[in-house]
Amino acid sequence: MKGTVLLALLVLPLAAFAREWKVDPAHSALTFTGTYQDEKFEGRFKRFDAKIDYDPADLAHAKFDVTIDIASVDTANTERDRALPGKDFFDTAQFPRAHFVTTRFRKSANGEVLADGTLSLRGVTKPVTLVVKFSQTGNGATLDVDTDLKRLDFGIGGGDWADTSMIGNDVAVHGHLVLTP
Amino acid sequence: MALRNTDARWGGIAQFFHWLIALAIIAQGAIGLTMVELGMTPTKVKVFALHKSIGLTLLALALLRLAWRSGQRVPRDPPMPRWQHFAARASHFLLYVLIFALPLSGWLFNSAANFPLEWFGLVHIPSLTHGLDPVLKAWALRAHVVLFWILVGVVAVHVAGALWHHFVQRDDVLLRMLPGFEKRRLARRQGVLQ
Repeated sequence: MKGTVLLALLVLPLAAFAREWKVDPAHSALTFTGTYQDEKFEGRFKRFDAKIDYDPADLAHAKFDVTIDIASVDTANTERDRALPGKDFFDTAQFPRAHFVTTRFRKSANGEVLADGTLSLRGVTKPVTLVVKFSQTGNGATLDVDTDLKRLDFGIGGGDWADTSMIGNDVAVHGHLVLTP
Repeated sequence: MALRNTDARWGGIAQFFHWLIALAIIAQGAIGLTMVELGMTPTKVKVFALHKSIGLTLLALALLRLAWRSGQRVPRDPPMPRWQHFAARASHFLLYVLIFALPLSGWLFNSAANFPLEWFGLVHIPSLTHGLDPVLKAWALRAHVVLFWILVGVVAVHVAGALWHHFVQRDDVLLRMLPGFEKRRLARRQGVLQ
């Protein structure tokens, strides 16, 4: 009996924290797909910092905390990459970083793992839900998350740029993280 | 007016291509020189899109024009010294080269800059490159600008030549590219039209 209590005391604090992972930045990417003049384009944030606590068997203690350096945006178009950090779009002078943190994890009716959280981007904080796909490979794991955002919800390209026939409102965001123990 | 060329004049189709392309080139030059001065606003994006759409139209017109011309006789030149023959042929050849090279260099620049491309918002036009290519982009832009100024020079020679034929030589070289050629030639003979 004594032994069981002792064991429980030892194990409980461990169980309170889901497994902590390190992100391999060289193989991880935070990308998004937007539409410009009826054509899809891809962009990525070259610098971001993700704290991932995740164990598929213990969603109650899972947590993602991601900080994105917005000025590191790259859409493979020099003119666009010059415009995006400007006041009309991300306004990185005033809002250099975006922040996403999960509030809870749950399973959808069809068994997908969903991560509810809040995203602060360009001074606007909104609830955002990620679809989470996690697969363990040996010691490591890969984590793929997806969500759809509306750029105008965050005032990105407001005013004269609000015309969604030129720049689409829908932006699909994808994160691919390679995790190591 | 006959649609086909004759020994004496350009037919309706050739005239249509000539004047439509001339108008489009003038509009294109004016838009091109203006748009690069605009600030980064949606207006600038729309003006660039218009420039690209007109450029693609010009490329299509150039192709159709060359195809049409290849099956046509060319009106006979009035008697003139050999060097003038040569100058006329060379400038016409250059104009044909330029009405292809200008839109193609623009298309190449647009592709290498990784900009989208569509024709008047209706038809998606594919890229000529695999996305961004900074070296090719810089090269294509320089080519586009240099070719434009060469075009301005050759057009100036072309217009000067046409006016010289009309007002100095007083031959049919200009009139045969104008609609209503027969009437004008008759009027000119009678001294009504200078």
